[in-house]
Formats: sequence, C-alpha cells, structure tokens
Amino acid sequence: MFKHLFKLIWNKKKQNFLLITEMLVSFLVLFAVFTLMMYYYNNYKKPMGFDYQDVWVINYNNSYQTKNVDSLDLYYETLRKTIKSLPRVKEITFVSGNIPFSSRTNESGLTFRGKHVQHLNNFTVEDHYEKVMNVTLLEGRWFNKEDVVSKNQHIIIDADLKEATFGKESAVGKLLGNDDDKNKFKVVGVIQTIKRNGDYLKAGPGMYFRTDTGSFRWLDKILVKVDHGADAAFEGKLYKTMANYMKNANVEIEHLVNKRTDANYFALVPMIILAIVSAFLVINVALGLFGVLWYNINKRRGEIGLRRAIGATGKSVAAQLVSESMILATLALIIGTFFAAQFPLLNVFDLPAIVYIEGILLSVLFVYLLVLICSLYPGKQAAAIYPAVALHEE
Amino acid sequence: MIRLQNIEKVYRTDTIETLALNSVSLDIAKGEFLSIMGPSGCGKSTLLNIMGLLDAPSKGDIRIDDQKTEGMNDKQLAAFRNKKLGFIFQSYHLINDLQVLDNVELPLLYRDTTAKQRRELAAEALEKVGLANRLKHFPTQLSGGQRQRVAIARAIVGRPEIILADEPTGNLDSAMGNEIMEILLNLNRNDGTTIVMVTHDENMAHKTHRLVRLFDGAQVQ
Repeated sequence: MFKHLFKLIWNKKKQNFLLITEMLVSFLVLFAVFTLMMYYYNNYKKPMGFDYQDVWVINYNNSYQTKNVDSLDLYYETLRKTIKSLPRVKEITFVSGNIPFSSRTNESGLTFRGKHVQHLNNFTVEDHYEKVMNVTLLEGRWFNKEDVVSKNQHIIIDADLKEATFGKESAVGKLLGNDDDKNKFKVVGVIQTIKRNGDYLKAGPGMYFRTDTGSFRWLDKILVKVDHGADAAFEGKLYKTMANYMKNANVEIEHLVNKRTDANYFALVPMIILAIVSAFLVINVALGLFGVLWYNINKRRGEIGLRRAIGATGKSVAAQLVSESMILATLALIIGTFFAAQFPLLNVFDLPAIVYIEGILLSVLFVYLLVLICSLYPGKQAAAIYPAVALHEE
Repeated sequence: MIRLQNIEKVYRTDTIETLALNSVSLDIAKGEFLSIMGPSGCGKSTLLNIMGLLDAPSKGDIRIDDQKTEGMNDKQLAAFRNKKLGFIFQSYHLINDLQVLDNVELPLLYRDTTAKQRRELAAEALEKVGLANRLKHFPTQLSGGQRQRVAIARAIVGRPEIILADEPTGNLDSAMGNEIMEILLNLNRNDGTTIVMVTHDENMAHKTHRLVRLFDGAQVQ
C-alpha cells in the first residue's frame, strides 16, 4: 500500500509541490524556533553559579585619580570602610566593569594543548568577590593574600573553561596560557560558571584575575551585598554616602535582580518575535493543509467511492488520506532536515550540535503532529462518503 | 447465486419520500448473464447498488452465494465486495494519476497479496481484455473503449464470481460497445462468471440470457 500511495503522490507531484514547499518552509521556521528554544532551555537548566539576590551595583566614573598608588589605595580602602560601616551592608567588593547581566565584556582568546578557546571572559575581582556573589567553588580555593607573590600569576577559572582546556582532569595547580611556562597562569581554583548574560544565554568560559595595586585606576564598579530588607531609604543613604565621598563622580545604583530581568527580556525578545512569526505560519499551514485536503476529498469523491466498492473500508480510506499527507510531510521533512543538518555540520552559530539535533527532532515531531491533526477530520469526512452516491455523482 | 426478496428502497428527505424500488424479487443463477432495462430513474442503478452491497435496502432480504448480507459490518461488507464482486461503471472510474497496470491492481491492494502477485494477476487480466501492450499508459492516453477494457480488467483481476456492470457501453459508440459486450460474453461463457448488467441498449440486452425490466421501481418483466 505504501508503494501505491507513493506512486500516487509522485504522479501528482505538480499538485503536491506547493504543499510540500509550505511544509518545508514551516519546518525551517519551526527548526529556528525550537533550536533557539532548546538553546535557551539548556542554558536555563544550568545553575546560576552565584547569588544575585540583595546584591547592588554602584557604578561610578570620573573618580579620584592619582599617580601615587598608596594614595589611590588609601582613597578606595577608606571608601570601602565607609560603605561597609553602613548598617545594612554585609560585604562589598570592587570589580571590573563586566559584572553579571551587564553588556560590557572583556574577552580574549586562549590556545591550550592545541585547543583554541574563543570569547574567553576576563574578570578582575577581589578576595571579597566570593562572599558578595556567593560563587560556588568546585575545586581548589578562592583568592587570598598568598596570591600576591607567585612565580606564575594565580587565576581562578570557571567550569566551562576547565572543561574546554583540562577536560575531566583536575585543573588546580596546573599552568594555563598561550605563552611559555614562565608567563602562564597557575590555576588555584575552579568555580561554577556564572550565568553573566542572564538565565537563557551562554555564560562561559571565564577566567578570574585578582586585583593588583594599580587596579583601582580603572575599576568602576562596586558590588554591595545588603541585608534582605534593604529598602529605597537605605539606597538613598548609600547614594548620598557615595556622592559625598566622590565629589565630582557620577554615581548610579542598580540592583542585580533588576539587571537580570532586563537581560532576560533582552534575550527573550528575538525568541518571542520568531515564535509569533512561526505561530502565524503554522496557523497558515494548518489552514492551507486543511483546505487542500478538504478540496482533495471533494475532488476525489469518485476515487473514494471506487475504492469503497472494490474493498476498502471507511477506515482504510481515512487512513489512506492521512497516510498520503504524512508521506508528503516526510518528503518535506527529508529536504528540510538536509538543510537543517548543515547548521551543526558547519557549526554556523557556534551552538552545541545537540541543540540543533533537539531542534530538528522537535520540528519533525511538530510538523507530523500538525499534519496528522489537519488530516484527521478530512479523513473522517472521506470515510463517511457513501460509495453509491459518490460513484453516481461522476 | 443472488437472491433478492421483496426489496424496497425509499429515499427520504425532510419533505419528500421517494420509493425507488418497490418489492423487487429476483433470483439470479450461478453463471447467468442478466440484463436490467428500464427508463431513466426507474431504479436500475439502485437495484445494482443494492446487489453490490454499496447501498442498503429499506426493506427486504439479500442473499449472495447463500450468504445473508444483512447485519454485516463495514469491514465484512468491504471484504465481501472485494472477494465476490467486480464492478464496471459507465464512466469507467479509473484513477487518472495511476498507470493502467496500477489501476487494475487496485482491488488486490485490499487483499493479502504480494506486489509480485499483484503485478502478475493484473498483467494477466489486461491480456485477457487485449491491453497487454498498454500497461504503462495512463488512462488519459487511452480511448473510451480501451478505458472500459481497463475497467473490466480491474473488475476481473480478483477473480470474482459476480460482475455488476452499470451501463458499461453507455459512453461508447456501437463498435466499441460491441467489443466490450463481446468481452463480457466471453467472461460469462468461458469463466462462468455471473454478470448483471444495466443497459439502455436493447441489442446488448438481447445478447444476455435473461432480461428484467423495471418501471417506477417495480419489476414489469
């Protein structure tokens, strides 16, 4: 029967071409939607890697500048003590501008053991960063005063970088970097990758450097861990403290919770737009398919009557029409999968291959389900055609 | 072979009730070639559809090959039609998107047969109707007479005991009509197939064993 249906479809290829094209286009759009959805979902499943609740960000610029490092240190240490002495502040840390959920980046590349790591985030952090952000240490330790003097500069890496460079083996105590051993960094700890771009976007890989004596010249953010009940009144007080201390600086206070929400909105917008477009397309395809199948039934009443006369049951007529639609869908999906498979093969958007495969599988399932639903009712209508009437009509 | 007893068929709409067949009783013996005649709308095709189990009577009893057909479900009716009956229609009812051989194979698709068996049986049936050289043609590439011969091949491919022909020569000129009639007569004569034919053509009807006339749904001869 399958061969018979295939022949029937093949001999009507001109009539079926548009339907196959419509199914193919909807598959490709659905593939884009599902791939993006799976990419977001896979990222969403990963742990956040830090605690953003009750962490405020103080942005400042045009701050105190001096060539004297001791004066600079004294200025910022005094500021640290001033802020920390405020009643609701638990801990503070100075940090480079590429804080979580911000659009600022500081990226480099790294080649290690023949593997090239691109888009490697470089973070400059202090010893207090661990407490403020409550990062999850997976191996080794966080920075401490021992890291000031060392043969190789000490660094902490995130789980993504560790996976990309050392794989399953332990990274702690190992050297990492592009250059010869003398200029390589020594890994002292591995932390859970922090999702700096929000819940839905890829986070790592990342490499953390400890601040040094000159870092205050260019650091322009402070992360403050506050009590859970810290309110707008306290925020005002914190702002005044900062503004009084940094007379000519522009100071702004943000909350990581809000920044996370903004980052998530920013990530979801293309997804929502694509989903709306695909929803329209799917509705269009569904109506088109439904219409074409309905039209086919009316056009093929004679054939349906004949099949009933020569031994087909109502159910087998319905099954035939549903099967024909499914074969058409299969043809469209074979072509569509060929194009979709080029994305992981050519690594088009630098996404893991599994995301594309999940996208393909979900799209295939969805198209089959759509075609099945759209053909069930016309199939049922065909089964109800009375053979004597249908044969007489022609 | 076919026994119809007091068959009545009433078509009902909201406002009107039409009596299409009125107490028709017929006994058709095995190997008989029977023709049914009558003016348009007298119930010939309705009677043929009832014999072919394509339509159910409003009243009366049908037995085919000593089997009572009343109470059969859709699946049983379909299987019965497939094995026991062959249909020939005035407008051929060929599927234009399928080649001649595939059209003839159709009834065998609803049976447990292999593709090879189907091909062999279809080719054999086409040879019987003189179309062995047209297997790969499409119906639209054939003349009316050739199309009807394909329809006959389709009707006999499953080797049914009964063939029901609804005006098989109605769309053909007399020469082609005679050719078709000759094939049907040969099938009856050589294979012992029971044939019931509805026709408007007196000449064709007189070539059969028995003629039944209907008028206003009732049997008058």
